[in-house]
Amino acid sequence: MNCQEFREFAFDAPETVAHLQDCPSCAAWRQRQDSLIASLRAMAAESQHVGAPANLEAKLVAAFRTHGGTVAPVRAPRMWAPVATWFAAAAAVVAVAFVLSNQHVPQPVPHRNPPAIVESAMIEGDDSPFNSADFIPLPNAQQLAPNEDVNLVRVEVPRSTMIVLGYDVSAERASEPVEAEVVLGPDGLARAVRFLE
Amino acid sequence: MNSTHPETDDDLLMAMRSGDEQAFVTLYRKRQAALYRFAQHMSGSTSVAEDVTQEVFLALIRDGCGYDPERGTLSGYLFGIARKLVLRHLERGRSDVALETEGEESGWPQLAVIDDPMADLTWREGIDALRRAVHALPRRYREVVVLCDLEEVDYADAALVLNCPIGTVRSRLHRARALLLEKLNQERSPRPAMGTLRPVRCLS
Repeated sequence: MNCQEFREFAFDAPETVAHLQDCPSCAAWRQRQDSLIASLRAMAAESQHVGAPANLEAKLVAAFRTHGGTVAPVRAPRMWAPVATWFAAAAAVVAVAFVLSNQHVPQPVPHRNPPAIVESAMIEGDDSPFNSADFIPLPNAQQLAPNEDVNLVRVEVPRSTMIVLGYDVSAERASEPVEAEVVLGPDGLARAVRFLE
Repeated sequence: MNSTHPETDDDLLMAMRSGDEQAFVTLYRKRQAALYRFAQHMSGSTSVAEDVTQEVFLALIRDGCGYDPERGTLSGYLFGIARKLVLRHLERGRSDVALETEGEESGWPQLAVIDDPMADLTWREGIDALRRAVHALPRRYREVVVLCDLEEVDYADAALVLNCPIGTVRSRLHRARALLLEKLNQERSPRPAMGTLRPVRCLS
């Protein structure tokens, strides 16, 4: 080991004792290092009492209490769909359930022009989209005006809701869920529905 | 410290995260002083040190899960946050000292210092001179001296705090101590600065 290796890489390693015995220069250098480190430790000891002002603890405890003590961060889950879609879907379920629960007799299905978004789901060449594409206007729902902006959301409803729209559903399967697509008007209310099965 | 509370930092953190206020207070009292001193040594400002200490613990309150015990100790994690906050303060205030332009591996440290520069100073003079010398170090050397020599953080934790290999911590510390000895030696026998020399006329 030469002097450079000793001073750069191994000045505090135990195997350097032999080099120190053979090299007075490095021994003196080591003595200065030890003196410096001791002085640094003395400086540190002198400032051991130094710390943050006492009022900081009170501030932080208040902050801790503000968080209710449950400090684990709440990370927003990654959602594959926008929150608005879920909100609209929930609203649609409520609206469909509300409308259907107040109707026991299916109303005649009027023919009207399909909303743009529903049009894409229609069977090509059929002039009456609500019939042919299985979109059933909901009873007592406001009629859609031509070219009115609508939203289409997919929801899951109890199969029993199909009964009030004229479908045959066995009693055993009445509680099973069924997927449906609901047309929402610009006011957010359900206008029409189609079942996907 | 309340004996009903666990002693290790990790246990205190777990208790704190489950809502134990006393655990938070215990952890704060255990760690705040070192963080405050680190920030004060690095910034030279008590107000910055106070701000940094507060922000470190607020970060712990808000983001307690950011700490990974497998990567290092909680103490190292807190020093790491404190360091980032101090650097942000320094960059904002441009208050870092000059010597940064020196290369990190700028050669073998000067070995011209024969005598111990601390030897013929009184204890008080020596400590004051040393404090000035530490504050005058370039930031990258100052932080390693403050961490390893003043706060006695071990090399592994220091490497985590400084986001560098342990070997770099050792070499920076080596260079930092050499610079400190140089500065102390200069302070003991200062050379006159150019501005203090008076012009004289040559009559020969």
